[in-house]
Amino acid sequence: MTDMIENRVLSGSSGKVRKESAKAHKKRLKYYSASQWTLIWWRFRRHRAAMVAATVLLLMALLGAFAEFVAPYGPTSRDTKYLDGAPQIPLFCDQNGCSWRPFVHGVTTKRDPVTLRAISVPDPDKRVYLTFLAEGEKTDLLGFIPTSTHLFLLDDKRAKLHLWGTDDLGRDVFSRTIYATRTSLSIGVIGVLISFVLALVIGGVAGYAGGWVDNVIQRVTEVIRVVPIIPLYMGLAAAMPKEWSTTEVYFAMTLILGLFGWPTLARRIRSQLLSIRSEDYVIAARLAGARPLRIISQHMLPSFTSFIIVDLVISFPYMILSETALSFVGLGLRPPTVSWGVLLQQAQSVRVIEQTPWLFIPAVFVVLAVLAFTVVGDGLRDAADPYSDVR
Amino acid sequence: MLRFTLERLVGMIVTMVLVSMMVFLIMEIPPGDYADRYAFRKYSGTGIAITEADIEAIRHDFGLDKPMVLRYVDWIGNIVLHGDFGQAFAFETDVIKVIGDKAWLTMAILFGTLLLTYLVSIPIGIYAAVRRASAADYGLTIFSYLGLALPNFLLALIMLYFANLRFGADIGGLFSAGMADASWSFAKVWDLIKHLWLPAFVLAWSAVAYQIQTIRATMSDELNKLSVTAARARGVPETRLLIKYPARLAINPVVSTIGFDVNRIFSELPIVAVVLGLTELGELLLNAYLDLDMYVAGAILLMLTFVIVVMNFISDILLAWLDPRIKLGNN
Amino acid sequence: MLKVENLSISFRTDEGLITPVEDISFEVRPGHTLGIVGESGSGKSISTKAVMQLLPGNGIISKEAKILYTDKSGKVMDINKLGKKGRAIRAIRGGEIGMIFQEPMASFSPVYTIGNQMVETIRLHRNVGRKDARRIAIGMLDKVGISNPEARIDQYPHEMSGGMRQRAMIALALSAGPALLIADEPTTALDVTIQAQVLDLMRNLQRDLSMGMIFITHDLGVISHIADDVAVMYLGTIVERGPTDKVIHEPAHPYTQGLIKALPSVDRLHDRLTPIPGDIPSPNERPTGCPFHTRCSKTIVGLCDRHQPQILQVGEDHTVRCFLHEKQGRATA
Ligand SMILES: Nc1ncnc2c1ncn2[C@@H]1O[C@H](COP(=O)(O)OP(=O)(O)O)[C@@H](O)[C@H]1O
Ligand code: SF4
Ligand SMILES: [Mg+2]
Repeated sequence: MTDMIENRVLSGSSGKVRKESAKAHKKRLKYYSASQWTLIWWRFRRHRAAMVAATVLLLMALLGAFAEFVAPYGPTSRDTKYLDGAPQIPLFCDQNGCSWRPFVHGVTTKRDPVTLRAISVPDPDKRVYLTFLAEGEKTDLLGFIPTSTHLFLLDDKRAKLHLWGTDDLGRDVFSRTIYATRTSLSIGVIGVLISFVLALVIGGVAGYAGGWVDNVIQRVTEVIRVVPIIPLYMGLAAAMPKEWSTTEVYFAMTLILGLFGWPTLARRIRSQLLSIRSEDYVIAARLAGARPLRIISQHMLPSFTSFIIVDLVISFPYMILSETALSFVGLGLRPPTVSWGVLLQQAQSVRVIEQTPWLFIPAVFVVLAVLAFTVVGDGLRDAADPYSDVR
Repeated sequence: MLRFTLERLVGMIVTMVLVSMMVFLIMEIPPGDYADRYAFRKYSGTGIAITEADIEAIRHDFGLDKPMVLRYVDWIGNIVLHGDFGQAFAFETDVIKVIGDKAWLTMAILFGTLLLTYLVSIPIGIYAAVRRASAADYGLTIFSYLGLALPNFLLALIMLYFANLRFGADIGGLFSAGMADASWSFAKVWDLIKHLWLPAFVLAWSAVAYQIQTIRATMSDELNKLSVTAARARGVPETRLLIKYPARLAINPVVSTIGFDVNRIFSELPIVAVVLGLTELGELLLNAYLDLDMYVAGAILLMLTFVIVVMNFISDILLAWLDPRIKLGNN
Repeated sequence: MLKVENLSISFRTDEGLITPVEDISFEVRPGHTLGIVGESGSGKSISTKAVMQLLPGNGIISKEAKILYTDKSGKVMDINKLGKKGRAIRAIRGGEIGMIFQEPMASFSPVYTIGNQMVETIRLHRNVGRKDARRIAIGMLDKVGISNPEARIDQYPHEMSGGMRQRAMIALALSAGPALLIADEPTTALDVTIQAQVLDLMRNLQRDLSMGMIFITHDLGVISHIADDVAVMYLGTIVERGPTDKVIHEPAHPYTQGLIKALPSVDRLHDRLTPIPGDIPSPNERPTGCPFHTRCSKTIVGLCDRHQPQILQVGEDHTVRCFLHEKQGRATA
């Protein structure tokens, strides 16, 4: 009797519905069998803004990594003939006709008729052509591969190309920004990694142990949460001895930024651990005699790795903005190191906006990077949320 | 409610004690100590050579040769019992005299910024949630992303630039020339208010961006609640319904993050102060750090944190008063 | 007093337009209770929300639908023409038609006292002062069986037990004296013992106040206790409608018959329950033809899966949507 009903039920469903559900069925099978990460990737890919932002970040990372190749000149090379010079935009056409090769106009030094100061002005009759993959200043690619090939240079070795102008010492803003990208992004990465490790340890201990250990850790976390963070960073940064080398300062900065970045993530890890502490599979592992670290890393953490990643991505902007702010007021990285914040130190006054606005170009990078990290973080969060569906 | 208040009060005191310890540690980190720097300041340029013995004498005078724990107890004891924050060597006077009026100016900036933040973000956040997925909503989302990404010093510079174009040179700082040293009067307060909007605007910018997102999210959740449909089913008019039911609950997260906003404002203050030429605690703190004038820095850090902790306390109490469920949950 | 004709409800969704309720008609007689019964997802809630113009922003009521309501003064109006906003529909909501929901906790705002929300409703619909409104509210709380109403009125929803809250919710819905009460699964979230109490309370209130009532439930057993008439819904259509006695004792539709077989009853206590086989399909994959044919044991292949059965009269005020009766009709004719 039951068999008959079931047969009827099956044969009764209409042809149209069936065809559709066969297609949908395939899709669904693929969906169910995909791993958690594949699913997250599928959902993330559909988030257009996040994909654009991720591309921007990737580009920035590449620019920074291959700074020696991309930047035509070193971050401290000077062009004394072109101080506070305006950006030179490569042209294909000018009053003397067009060319298939991009060129810029050469620079001649003139005396300002009023102030009698020497100023550099473009000479519209002098063309200097760009060459690509040309030999120039010797550098070490990635810091250890000797090379003198640069992405682009000027044909005439006596002239220098300043895409984004120069500062008061005649240093190329484009090259400096590219090098600064490496510094600022790497500080962010290391800072985030340090706070990640701290968060893992502190949150892990609090969440796994619970009880009074948790109470003490909660108190300490609360303290770090209430102290205004930039003034706190400033205090630590101010304590760096003046005679430290730039490398020492660099690592001290990453340490300072990483040192206080953990409370949010630690909190998340703690509360997640506390909530799954009593789940059967964790108790089973504990009864089976697994050591705490193994239980945490093998059984407890994997269940919310995606959330941790989201939190990590979201904490990047704070790192970058903090580094920029500290360096901006002279308490962070110090010249000759270049970072976005160090570069912006030269742009502290309104006069700069009026006279040499190109010194603000590094700020565009800061805004782009922070924006991109935020958008990618949001995209990842949506993608990691099991309740948001693929469609 | 009384028990709830007392509990929070005790928690606040414990936190402050721990904070003071941390601040003291930070004051101790810079190489050399107060005596070195004091001696250097006092004798530099005088041609007198400083000997180790001189420094030792100073050290003894100030009690710097005592163990750290005792020095901490002295320091915090003097602050709590006598309101004495120690010596500001760069100014050769008491820390409290250096800080003086600047504390009140800082509070004026703080409350000006908070007021502006909430006046702008609450109505806009609610509007964005009600008009979800409209052009205005998308515009606001883009704005709030930008608000979070634009470094405040950059915004300060941009604002300063436009303000200069529009209002002439006298726009930075907190007072007009000549007013700064005048004694307090109605005219001076008015002058302060006229100057306050610029730092308040710059500092409120990212807080507004953040709060709009929070309010929009909670308001959207609240709008989907059954209680809203139920109220509508009783014939409550739409505007009144929005204000009385979802909006009333959507401001809870705002209230609960007041301390967080204060923290952010104080965090940004030293940097914005540099650009805008503000003469308040943020600027003083930055200079104290740059001069390694650690007693001044410590005092300011402690004061700022104290304000944040008090604001956290107020926000807890306010929240318990706003949301009757909380009192029950905690008792 | 309420006559709904040819009501269809659609939603704009990401996957396009879906129509979870299609062409239903029902009627509530003054002073009588209409029970609407059907499995979860069959469209009971949205059908009654449509009556109050309470569908969410993406919901659309078909243009040709008529929702004719006769108000307390005897005026007849078509609610479908009133729109979602404005004074006219607001006067109906709460004042003419009261509504109670499945979850009493979520229906109250947690930050206002019960009294605050009752006084608000009373003053919206009756021209009385704050004091009088409060007196009316206390009287109403007393009527729904809340002891010590003078004190209870100033309590917050979370300070009450589940059953108490549902009583308060009933009092709130009735506070402005509506002529029709819509109760959407008012007892589903409650314990069995309290369920029975609330059910009794609602039946008595309905009689005392001689209100019309729509009582929604997924439990046919409840219907026989409370409803005068019943409408059985399946996948967005009403498959059978008629006086409760008739529908329970002479069910005409295979779905209703299945529901009744699945009922635990005293005389069949030792029998195994026989639930209807198969799952209810999703409303956006509604089968063509008779929506029930994928689960019906009497499907006529080639007919039921191709054509939509018409509404047929099988007795006085008793209608059904099934080909079996068309054939019978033809056979007897
Ligand atoms: N806001 C909405 N958007 C899209 N579809 C909806 C919405 N609300 C309800 N539905 C659809 O209407 C169907 C019937 O819902 P409902 O009336 O709540 O069922 P019942 O009350 O009978 O359990 C649901 O299964 C769902 O597919
Ligand atoms: S119309 Fe056919 S499928 Fe539908 S209920 Fe009647 S017999 Fe069953
Ligand atoms: Mg329902």
